[in-house]
Amino acid sequence: MTALFRAAAPILVVTLAACGSDPAPEPTEQIVVREPGAEAPDSDTTPPAAEANDSLIAAGKAAFNTCIACHVVEKDGANRVGPNLYGIVGQAAASVEGFNYSDALASSGITWTEEELDAYIANPAAKVPGTTMMAGAITDAGRREAIIAYIENVSAN
Amino acid sequence: MITLNVNGEAKDVDVDPATPILWVVRENLKMTGTKFGCGVALCGACTVHLDGKPVRSCSTPVSEADGKAITTIEGLAEEDGTFSKVQQAWVDQQVAQCGYCQSGQIMSATALLKNNPNPTDEQIDAAMAGNICRCGTYVRIRKAIKTAAGTSSETQEA
Amino acid sequence: MADTKTSETAPKKGKWTRRAFIGAGVVAGGALVIGVAVRPGNPIDRLSPMVAKGKGEQLINAWVKVDADNIVTAIIPHVEMGQGVFTSLAQMLADELDADWSKVRILEAPADAKYVSHDIGREFLAPNLEVPAILEPTVGGTFLQLATAMNLQITGGSFSVRGTGQRAMRVAGAAAKEMLIAAAAEEWNVPAGELRAENSMILHDKSSKSAPFADFAAAAADQGLPNKPKLKSPKDYKLMGKAMARHDIPEKSNGTALFGIDADLPGMKYAAVKAAPVVGATIESMNVDTAKSMPGVLQILNMGDFVAVVADGYWQAQQALGTIDAKYSKTEGDTLNQDALFARYATVLDEAGDDDGDIETEKGDVTEAFAGAATKVEAEYKVPFLAHATMEPMNCTAWVRDGKCDVWSGHQAPLMARKAAADTLGIDTDAVTYHNAYLGGGFGRRSENDAIIMATRIAKAVPYPVKMIWSREEDTMHDHYRPSATSRFQAGLDKDGKAVSWSNIHTHLFDPQEAPTVPYYNIANHKIRKIDVPTHLRFGPWRSVDHSQHGYFIESFVDELAHAAGKDGYAYRRELLAGSKRHLAVLDKAAEMAGWGKPLPEGHGRGIAFVPSFGTIVAEVAEVDMTGAKPKVKKIYVAADPGFAVNPDGFAAQMESSIAYGLTATLYGEISVKDGAVQQSNFHDYPILRINEMPEVEVGIINGDHKRLGGAGEPGLPPLAPAVTNAIFAATGKRVRELPLSKVDFA
Repeated sequence: MTALFRAAAPILVVTLAACGSDPAPEPTEQIVVREPGAEAPDSDTTPPAAEANDSLIAAGKAAFNTCIACHVVEKDGANRVGPNLYGIVGQAAASVEGFNYSDALASSGITWTEEELDAYIANPAAKVPGTTMMAGAITDAGRREAIIAYIENVSAN
Repeated sequence: MITLNVNGEAKDVDVDPATPILWVVRENLKMTGTKFGCGVALCGACTVHLDGKPVRSCSTPVSEADGKAITTIEGLAEEDGTFSKVQQAWVDQQVAQCGYCQSGQIMSATALLKNNPNPTDEQIDAAMAGNICRCGTYVRIRKAIKTAAGTSSETQEA
Repeated sequence: MADTKTSETAPKKGKWTRRAFIGAGVVAGGALVIGVAVRPGNPIDRLSPMVAKGKGEQLINAWVKVDADNIVTAIIPHVEMGQGVFTSLAQMLADELDADWSKVRILEAPADAKYVSHDIGREFLAPNLEVPAILEPTVGGTFLQLATAMNLQITGGSFSVRGTGQRAMRVAGAAAKEMLIAAAAEEWNVPAGELRAENSMILHDKSSKSAPFADFAAAAADQGLPNKPKLKSPKDYKLMGKAMARHDIPEKSNGTALFGIDADLPGMKYAAVKAAPVVGATIESMNVDTAKSMPGVLQILNMGDFVAVVADGYWQAQQALGTIDAKYSKTEGDTLNQDALFARYATVLDEAGDDDGDIETEKGDVTEAFAGAATKVEAEYKVPFLAHATMEPMNCTAWVRDGKCDVWSGHQAPLMARKAAADTLGIDTDAVTYHNAYLGGGFGRRSENDAIIMATRIAKAVPYPVKMIWSREEDTMHDHYRPSATSRFQAGLDKDGKAVSWSNIHTHLFDPQEAPTVPYYNIANHKIRKIDVPTHLRFGPWRSVDHSQHGYFIESFVDELAHAAGKDGYAYRRELLAGSKRHLAVLDKAAEMAGWGKPLPEGHGRGIAFVPSFGTIVAEVAEVDMTGAKPKVKKIYVAADPGFAVNPDGFAAQMESSIAYGLTATLYGEISVKDGAVQQSNFHDYPILRINEMPEVEVGIINGDHKRLGGAGEPGLPPLAPAVTNAIFAATGKRVRELPLSKVDFA
């Protein structure tokens, strides 16, 4: 058991040195939003209407977390399990360079309009039987809209 | 308030509909057999069934479960605790090591056998490739799935 | 399992009480207690309040209790992280006790100094000490004191069975049996020599009398502890050596097993955390405008080195944390990049020349032998940093109130975790109760205290219990990594191809000290040196520790020597091991299992590697298919001699597991640094072997010496990478000198 003993040794030195006199640092900044059980703060902080589109994009960014295991939206970003989605809206299906598409998608003839993308991510296998996109179906229309808005926004910047 | 059907029981939960099923099951319903592994549907530790189909609960919002039946690892055994054939095969083949991923493995295997009662090695590998096991119990997972498939046909004969 | 929860802080009774989350009440100090072999008096009065409070339960010695239903409970001073140690240690105790296995239960020992693993300290101080008898009271006693002082209760180093099992659990079982027999002899008024134990019963054959252990448990506890209880010889083993089913598998198959992440307390809140990407940096500012207004958020904490968001639910905490834009201080580590690090290793090794650096072993004169060699072989190998990637991300639940603290987690060293929490708070260790759970993977990662300290710091700042969970991204980016390293070799061969000199210099040595050495190979002249090249990245023990690097380095180079000598890798190793019977038996068995020398399909190759580590001798043969775009590992044959396999199925499972863990590293494993930060974050860029890539595994076990047990959890790993790369060489003629294989172009 020499392995872990020695692994432990440096840590012990630190903890022993810290014993009693020098506890670990406390927060340098502590923001108490509310106490447990209390109502959430008034939603005065809701972004003004002018920023509605921004909030859709923000919601899309959060919702895109479902997708990041397989996709990036990044100029010149690498393909992962799925293709890079930068600039995907308006493109022909199966046209991202370097990605190994299924025959089904390659021969689909789809152009990724917002509507087509929406139908696809609602149920990929139903829209394009034989696609290799096995995960990520999003049945919530609002989330789909937000995700597409987010992809377009990132691609435009 | 959302009403969910979990393992055959109706459960009311007061959560944001965007909350992933994983956290509703673990924190609101206190059913901790379903595990958090990666948060992005890459490891399969959080696998549950929605209407019998395996889904990654970490990346599936609870709103997706509306009108559907959620089955978790806690819902596989009989009411008296008797293990399902897949669970029993897991015990018979001594599959689990640390055990953390095994709820997800068993949920994926259960779904596989439901659709394909006698899978080949290749079909097992394909169906189970979404579930990572860091202890490397894969050799035994293959055996256990075959055991469960065999038990299944024996049970029918009996 | 008996209800052993005694603390008044008992959360959610009926859940935590079912198993090994033990509330260790404060027990008055006194003489040090460990097992029965090293202790003058029986410690049960002090230990009972912790582990035997149930009605009708009687503690017989530190490790055994019996209840009124004749259930025997083995108290295990190690943690269960998948290695099956609860079962194998209970097997050892129950066998010596002649207990009925169907009535044996298992309890994890509390995180209390009285249950420290004293063998750890013993091995630390005298790694080469050979004590002939299994009982070594004075030796054990000395080291126990050290171990207690150093606050150890560690599971690791593949040590539980060979150390604690051999020296404490077996002795405890045998002692308990003698105490039960002594009590029965008094009760029945017959000589103790006429009594025997079987299936948790005491039997007197002459009178055909029999009675369960439970009838004598109380009287047994009053018997003096036997000084040297008689241990069984292998022919009398009933449980040891048998593939007993693991106790923890049923609850790991129905979702009821509790891991650290499953801790649940009334009023508990959840914390998501994000540490500065470069270790050592601090947060200079953070923008919390969005996070403050997000649902469920209770507190946002700038902890200096990390940001924490505490919320009603973990997902809410994560969502809010994701909106916080933090700025970090500059550190010296910011300039570190992976390519530059390997370049730095090269420079340091160049500058070391033939003599600088720390000499680890030296025998004969390598300079002279190398100068006179007929053939000279040189090679350099490189391996990257690796993360542990336990399936259960780092997590810890803590509750600080009224000057005390309760901590829940899964940790390989519960006493260290307890002390880390106490030191973090600046309170006495006795004011901290540490509750350990199953570990969702350890592999060395859970011997570190960072998560415990972070959770305790958050808990101190908030007025409720808080569960901190790291995201997978945090877990990947803030590990204590297996270090990257470069290793250079020079060897001289005589005209017959026999190695006459072996020189090695490498950039790193952590532990075990023997990892870079090859004393089992007959080479007359050795010189092995190291030079440390520290970085700001934290490193720690990773399954098989330094053997994970040196096994690959050494066995690749031996294969290169075989090739230079015009010999087969197996035959060449046989020559190097000549005269060492146990080593040869293992090597031969692996070759025989694999059908070494038999033809393989076109484009396939076989490779062999041999590494003794953690007391177990292992040889592996890999069969690799190189006909596709990337290597496909078809089958691994493992031959291993652990002295004696207490649970052969559990041992085989550990070999299978080590192969999967090692193959992940061989194929993909790479943590790289850019601008001081780790670049990988989740399983898409730190891939883990999946079932479709898992080779078939065949394990052959040799019980070569029942008195000298070896480990199980780690020794299967070191030979895996070189067996695979040697097979690739056999198939293609391409020598792989840098891992992982995903960086190698096989086109």
